[in-house]
Amino acid sequence: MENVVCTFCGSVCDDVQFDTQQYKGKKFCALGMSKFSAKERIKSPMIDGKAVSYEEAIDAAVDILVNSKKPLLYGWASTVNEAIRVGVILTEKLGGIYDQCSSVCHGPGVLSTIEEGLPGGTLGQVKNRADVVVFWGSNPMEAHPRHPTRYSVTAKGFFVKDRKERKVIVVDVRKTKSARLADEFIQIKPGYDYAIFSALRMLVKGEEIEAEEVGGVSVSKLAELAETMKNAKYGAILYGLGITQSRGRDRNIENAVKLIQLLNRYTRWIIWPMRGHYNVVGAGEVPAWEVGYQYAIDFSRGYPRFSPAEFAVSEALLRRDCDAALIVASDPVAHLPKKAVEHLKSIPVIQIDPFPNMTTLISKVVIPAAITGIEAEGTAYRMDGIPLRVKKVVDSEYWSDEKILHEMLKRVEVRMGFS
Amino acid sequence: MMVLKPKTDFAVTVEAEITPELATMSVEEASKFKVYHGREQVSLGELFEITKEGDDKKLVLEGDFSRVKWIGARMEDGEIIVKGSIGAHCGAYMKGGRIEIEGDADDWLGAEMSGGEIVVKGNARNLVGCAYYGDMKGMSGGRILIEGNAGNYIGEKMAGGEIEIKGDAGDFIGTEMTNGVIIIHRSCGFAGGDMKGGEIRIGGEFDLLPSFKKGDEGYVGDINVGGKGVIRQI
Amino acid sequence: MGIMNLHIKNGIVIDTKNGIKAEKMDIFVKGGKIVQESEIEGDVKVIDASNKLVVAGGVDMHAHIAGSKINSGRTMRPEEMRIVRQTAGKLRTSMGRVLLTSPAIGYEYAKMGYTTSFEAASPPIGSLHTHEELDSIPVIDKAMLPVFGNWHLVFKYTAEKDTEKMKALIAWAIERTKGFGVKVVNPGGVEKWMYGGNVTSLDDPVEYFNVTPREIITELVKATEGLNLPHSVHLHCNRLGVPGNYETTIETMKLVSGFKNDERQVLHVTHVQFNSYSGSSWRDVGSGADEIAKFVNKADNITIDMGQPVFGHATAMTGDAPFQFNLHKLLGAKWINKDVELETGAGIIPLVYLPKNPVHAVQWAIGLELGLLTDSDKVVISTDFPNGGPYTKYPYIMAMLMSAKMREKEIANASPYIQKATNLPSIDAEKTLEETIHMTRALPARILGLQTKGHLGVGGDADIAIYDLNPLEVDPSTEYEVVEKALSTPIYTIKGGEIVVKDGELVQEVWGRTYWIDAMSQVSTEVIEEDLDDYFTHYYTIQRYNYGVEEAWLRAPEKIVVG
Repeated sequence: MENVVCTFCGSVCDDVQFDTQQYKGKKFCALGMSKFSAKERIKSPMIDGKAVSYEEAIDAAVDILVNSKKPLLYGWASTVNEAIRVGVILTEKLGGIYDQCSSVCHGPGVLSTIEEGLPGGTLGQVKNRADVVVFWGSNPMEAHPRHPTRYSVTAKGFFVKDRKERKVIVVDVRKTKSARLADEFIQIKPGYDYAIFSALRMLVKGEEIEAEEVGGVSVSKLAELAETMKNAKYGAILYGLGITQSRGRDRNIENAVKLIQLLNRYTRWIIWPMRGHYNVVGAGEVPAWEVGYQYAIDFSRGYPRFSPAEFAVSEALLRRDCDAALIVASDPVAHLPKKAVEHLKSIPVIQIDPFPNMTTLISKVVIPAAITGIEAEGTAYRMDGIPLRVKKVVDSEYWSDEKILHEMLKRVEVRMGFS
Repeated sequence: MMVLKPKTDFAVTVEAEITPELATMSVEEASKFKVYHGREQVSLGELFEITKEGDDKKLVLEGDFSRVKWIGARMEDGEIIVKGSIGAHCGAYMKGGRIEIEGDADDWLGAEMSGGEIVVKGNARNLVGCAYYGDMKGMSGGRILIEGNAGNYIGEKMAGGEIEIKGDAGDFIGTEMTNGVIIIHRSCGFAGGDMKGGEIRIGGEFDLLPSFKKGDEGYVGDINVGGKGVIRQI
Repeated sequence: MGIMNLHIKNGIVIDTKNGIKAEKMDIFVKGGKIVQESEIEGDVKVIDASNKLVVAGGVDMHAHIAGSKINSGRTMRPEEMRIVRQTAGKLRTSMGRVLLTSPAIGYEYAKMGYTTSFEAASPPIGSLHTHEELDSIPVIDKAMLPVFGNWHLVFKYTAEKDTEKMKALIAWAIERTKGFGVKVVNPGGVEKWMYGGNVTSLDDPVEYFNVTPREIITELVKATEGLNLPHSVHLHCNRLGVPGNYETTIETMKLVSGFKNDERQVLHVTHVQFNSYSGSSWRDVGSGADEIAKFVNKADNITIDMGQPVFGHATAMTGDAPFQFNLHKLLGAKWINKDVELETGAGIIPLVYLPKNPVHAVQWAIGLELGLLTDSDKVVISTDFPNGGPYTKYPYIMAMLMSAKMREKEIANASPYIQKATNLPSIDAEKTLEETIHMTRALPARILGLQTKGHLGVGGDADIAIYDLNPLEVDPSTEYEVVEKALSTPIYTIKGGEIVVKDGELVQEVWGRTYWIDAMSQVSTEVIEEDLDDYFTHYYTIQRYNYGVEEAWLRAPEKIVVG
């Protein structure tokens, strides 16, 4: 089958091919292929480890949810918008907390958008126009393997016709695999991205800097970078977890955005995050239109409130601010801090996932789901917000996330007297 | 004076927007005050033991209030004594009066406060005296004193008043502040990013940004925004 | 509640399309449509509308209600999302000050007696997102207009002057996006912005493509008329928000002097307030509304909508990205920009219209001048939501157009600069209630080519608003407060034959349709196959196969076939 849409990373490559008989793919990168290869599945819905029907598992899940004072509904980045929408409405009706994977990766980008906005563009803009591309704290070779060829490094575009016409710079704290792709690698001292952005703003404006080096980089080197930026016709900073999850987080991005605002007074520049999961953008966009915010949303007062310091998954767990959890297509037990996981272990957990993971082991109710992009279809947003319809390429007995959540919502509305 | 004591360990955090105004009510009236315990709206009396001694406008919180949020938010006068630690948003939008916390304070202490005084004997976490997301102005008046250490993001977009920290503070002190004073007796990380005005006094070490210039009174900046803020070593 | 037969009894009906000027009459509804009395059988719910105004549901022909722009605006502006309009229960929680969540958009339209709204600009490649949001807006019927004015393929066919290819591209694009018509935003200017520029006149060439705004507009109108789409080209002019731009606007309108369509206009110029400035800078900015209105009144093929600013909060969001960058520099405000590969761009900026600010006051006055001086059969009420502010203020705008006294009072609160920079203070014209009903119902429906909207004739959709206002007795000129309040809180809003609002409160949630235009039988897309393949193989970052929206993915699509 041609033009399959890969549902692994935020690049959402839509040109891959998949042979449903052989379970083999073409054009996939190693990461994508691992998602599309046959793997151990959760065999059946379970309550306390005992196999039950979908209906029984959903009833048990609904029992837990309606009896809790404040359930946490978390995950969402690896499912489709149709399921996310039902999940948001379910959280709203339950008076719970909706949070998604952004709160542990690119959430700070939302905060910087709140402060300064986001001068950006789609990946096709990078491919067709960008003559300078800066990967800042991002490592596409390892996290988004086809990004450089499809969009950002060797991609041949309308105005920028090949690699020779594009200068690629990597800024990072260590020499990553991606640094090898670059024309230039600038190694910086960990934790000094913010100061370097401040320095670049000074240099672009022609201000003098008193220090000789900033963040481990000589000011003369930074002045060169500032010149390169000003002389670009169309530049792009593509940033990653290196700046969102290190010292400064949202403040780093905000300062980078201010640099981009300034550069646009001289030439054209955009900045964009290298998002991780294939639909982590949808996991923020859907709640934004349904209830106004992207993540860390509490509905306990019957209306949404946004507060990452309280309602992001780790914070809610550390403060014991939830007494039940529904985890959709995610593995918080494997990824969250130990203290947060401790609270998760002490409350009833419901899991919806195609695959068993660490979270399965602590879940009271486990509901297996069809794999979206292989066994179920729906809409996903690429890292730049371009919507793509992910496909169903094989039939399956498993229910889709959307169907499972919809059945839960119907029952919750009855139980809470809303229908 | 009114004394509140939690009756149990709460299942989830509690949101109680109580101010010293409560102490002017009878115990019966105060018991009916609505607070949030998860999605349930319950009366104060269900969650807390309430006793009253005399008529002064003073609240005393005994026991564990570290998971009780919004205490003293929008208060205008009177006094709150917290015997232990306090939850997030304590003293947010506060206009007057005094809050004393004997233990630690959680995030958003005194956020957007415009008057009054908050004293923390222990440590405070992040976002002290800051502006809420989307707002243009943080703390604009009053005073916050933290005798221990404080976390990151202190006095962002601060437009007036004073924050004093006896110990260390984290990163991003006084970012985008326009007025007011922040005093850190020991060390902190980055200070004064994009500050337009006001003063930051630091006793120990800190990370100087490249967008400040040394002047007679200290470092002046942030030049990136044409700022006239001052960072002074004490 | 389900669909039932309705008998709306003794109401005072204004239905301009059918020539009904405040007459006492009964309206009958069956199966979601207006019917003859004789068609009604069985159970009927009778609604007593004695001494009440009965009109068709309002039609908003230009608002930004769905897609990546408004949603990025929500993300950037949590300060806009804190107002709680409704808490969760049987109905959804509904949030927002001027920017609104999707449930709030549908609820607030219904609570004002409006039942149809068009998303006025969608990047074609993002149309699936736009439709997802439209599908999350309850109650109202809707549609969306994809943007064409900076699309590389449009430039190509403009340069080649190949109308057949342009027609094929338009039909193909509208089918793929499930769109409704041809929206054009600052043609050529947005492409120039990709390298930091903009156009300054209709004759500025767009580098590389060898086309000018004049040519792009002309070729798109030619092709749209060739296809005979229900809606004409819907144009956001060049030089928006630039003092002195009214001359460009008039020059633009002259471009279509040779075109004629018996059913409708051949050009709709949108939110004209933003393109009606005289002067040479913000220091001497003034009104060019008089000249614009004169031109529109004389022309027989042009319609406009106001783009009326309302004092208070707003969010500028438009495909006119270079204009938004200027606004960012001017205001020092936070700024979202989104360049969209090969097709378009967009920008978003928060702003507040302050009555005492001379520029804002002039903008406010110009909008009203346009509404007052333009023939009521050619100007539609709009705020270009959320650019000029909330659509929930339409009743305010209607009341202002009907009352010189109300305007006098409001002018007294605004900057005195409008006294010398605009004619508003000296205009004593007053629109009638019938005219403002026309400007919000039958006229926008006709401009869009919606046969079943904006009127109460047999066969029309049973989208009905009943207001506590007796047109035979009320004097809008003096009783403007009563008029504004009544038009803001319908006693009933009926959508598709179902009662959704009673006494200003939402009583149930229903789901409307999404209209889209299929003109594929009018063209042969073979002539553009090679170009499409070339673009998708080499320049787009998604496969042609994955471009576009299928009907099956939409909640309730309604196809309108052309030809």
